[in-house]
Amino acid sequence: MSKKKDDIIFWGVDCGSSEIKVVALDQAGNILLKRKQKTLFPLQDHVRHALSGDGDDLSPFITPESTEIKQGHKIIATGYGRKYINFATENLTEIKAHFMGVEKQLDLGDRYSIIDIGGQDSKIIAVDHNKVDQFIINRKCAAGTGAYIEELGHRLEVPLSDMTALAQNNDKELSLNSFCTVFSGQEVIKVLMNGERVENIIYALYSSVVKRVMEMTAITTDIVAFSGGVLEFHPKLVQMFTEKLREANPNIKTMLAPNAQYCGAIGAALFGMTAT
Amino acid sequence: MTDVMKDYFLDLDKAARDPKRKVAWCTSVGPAEILRAMGFEVFFPENHGAMLGATRVCMDTIPVANANGYSPEICSYLTSDVGAYMKGITPLTKAYGIESVPHPDVLVYNTNQCKDVMHWFEYYAKEFNTPIFGIHPPTNLPSIKQEYIDDVAQQFKDLIAFLEPIMGHAMDPEKLKETVALSLEATNLWSDVLNMAQTTPSPLTFFDGTIYMGPIVVLRGTQIAVDYYKNLLAELQEKVANNHAAVMGEHKRIYWDGMPVWGRLRNLSNIFKENNACVVASTYCNSWVFSDFDPNDPLPSMALAYIKIFINRNDQFKEAYIEKMVKDFNVDGVVFMAARTCPNNSNAYYNLPRRLKDKNIPTIIIDGDLCDLRCYSDEQSATLIEAFLETI
Repeated sequence: MSKKKDDIIFWGVDCGSSEIKVVALDQAGNILLKRKQKTLFPLQDHVRHALSGDGDDLSPFITPESTEIKQGHKIIATGYGRKYINFATENLTEIKAHFMGVEKQLDLGDRYSIIDIGGQDSKIIAVDHNKVDQFIINRKCAAGTGAYIEELGHRLEVPLSDMTALAQNNDKELSLNSFCTVFSGQEVIKVLMNGERVENIIYALYSSVVKRVMEMTAITTDIVAFSGGVLEFHPKLVQMFTEKLREANPNIKTMLAPNAQYCGAIGAALFGMTAT
Repeated sequence: MTDVMKDYFLDLDKAARDPKRKVAWCTSVGPAEILRAMGFEVFFPENHGAMLGATRVCMDTIPVANANGYSPEICSYLTSDVGAYMKGITPLTKAYGIESVPHPDVLVYNTNQCKDVMHWFEYYAKEFNTPIFGIHPPTNLPSIKQEYIDDVAQQFKDLIAFLEPIMGHAMDPEKLKETVALSLEATNLWSDVLNMAQTTPSPLTFFDGTIYMGPIVVLRGTQIAVDYYKNLLAELQEKVANNHAAVMGEHKRIYWDGMPVWGRLRNLSNIFKENNACVVASTYCNSWVFSDFDPNDPLPSMALAYIKIFINRNDQFKEAYIEKMVKDFNVDGVVFMAARTCPNNSNAYYNLPRRLKDKNIPTIIIDGDLCDLRCYSDEQSATLIEAFLETI
């Protein structure tokens, strides 16, 4: 890929707890590139690697090893690691980044909610008049986040990619009640010892995520968009969220944002444009 | 400031070693004026708890108290302090070369703020075999009735009768008037200091206030506190005259409800500063404004002042109080710090933030604690605060 002289490329980096997500947008907001890699340390080196890619001609750096940025490139960081990226020209919180990423990609009107589930946090963002009106992040525990799904998947020895298919074959609606991932793990062991089918346990695990997120705050909008990698890669979870939301509001419309895992990175890049 | 607190602690240490002088331990919003007028030197365990929190020594002492039967869910001032006693350490050693907290001759608490202080002081009463007296006022008050004032004024009289044989002399009514007068003067000056933040830009922040408040907690009823706040007020007036901003480029003005996170004052202060936001007012710092003191009617006026404090009121009062503060200080948003171990001084649990939001006052809740950093996440708090500042 190449760029015209004088064009600016906006790089959004979403430095999450599990993965570093990177997008490059042109001045019109078109996605030129997206890529991700596992969050490893030293963080700065891995973010630089995620941005420069493997021999790809589109890189914001003068050389793959340097942190010197080419003219016409701008890097904006979001996510938990946002403050640790020295070569980012600006940073913003993931709340605003996810909002901007969703707002840009979906035509949702001026009042809607976003449910975002990331590796270590889950968020509900209420948008009013196309601005973030309120938001809430999960409290101290991991239940209701990607880390919870990952931990219990590990205990069950079920790959994350198999979970949706398994949960679709449940024949029972089990419950996991604990706020605590460790105590939930104990609940899982107990039902496993009682000979419970893994399909029912995965369903219960998803159901628990839905409950932990939905109890954070009441959703009062008629439109809900989903963002974040967890929801992108667990379609059954999106379906279960939708069913739960419809119990309270049968007319509610839900949708998964395009590039759901990259919404934060896209929002960061867009923020760079507005700040230019 | 450093000298004022240093002199206070060094003198307390001397008093504890002098058989002719007596030391009383008192809760921070307890009847210190009665103790001072009687001639006691007064030590405040909550102040010690705050020092343990600010120095983060508490992270070594709270687990000791937990392991000895004091739950991680109760007041972390209590667990910090009791754990420090069990471990035989105090931050006073590093700060002032003082070996231990002064041993008490009497313990006096007031449950106007919570019942944990009662359990806390009872531990020491048993440990030191020291006489103890508790003031138990009516709590969670929607309004202040005369019968409440009469009740607490009578408890103060009973306290005086309890203290006289310990001290070996009767209360001098003139000395009590004089002490209450000094307390009133200091508390009014403290109020003036805090109200300087009504200016835009503000010359001080809540985080400055948590340091400036030392003398109003531990030295009210003394000339030292009066002199300290006169000087501080003059300094702040000069700053206002010079348009000096505590936060350069002050762009947003915030109200802080709940306790400080003592071990993260600098970190939190920096988050606000980096985002051009000034925390201009707080429930906490204003909790030591006792404008109802009246030297000519000391006991009833003390009763009134100590039962009408914010923490001892119902939620409707608290809502109206915060609304007024938001207006008076031209505040853009309210941060509620929900302290895991201090539900009494955390006002986010019964929907108050949402009621304020419905009145177009933006609010955010951060989870944390006064001392126990096991209940606090730096990253999550920073994200919440920054995202809040982005939205208002």
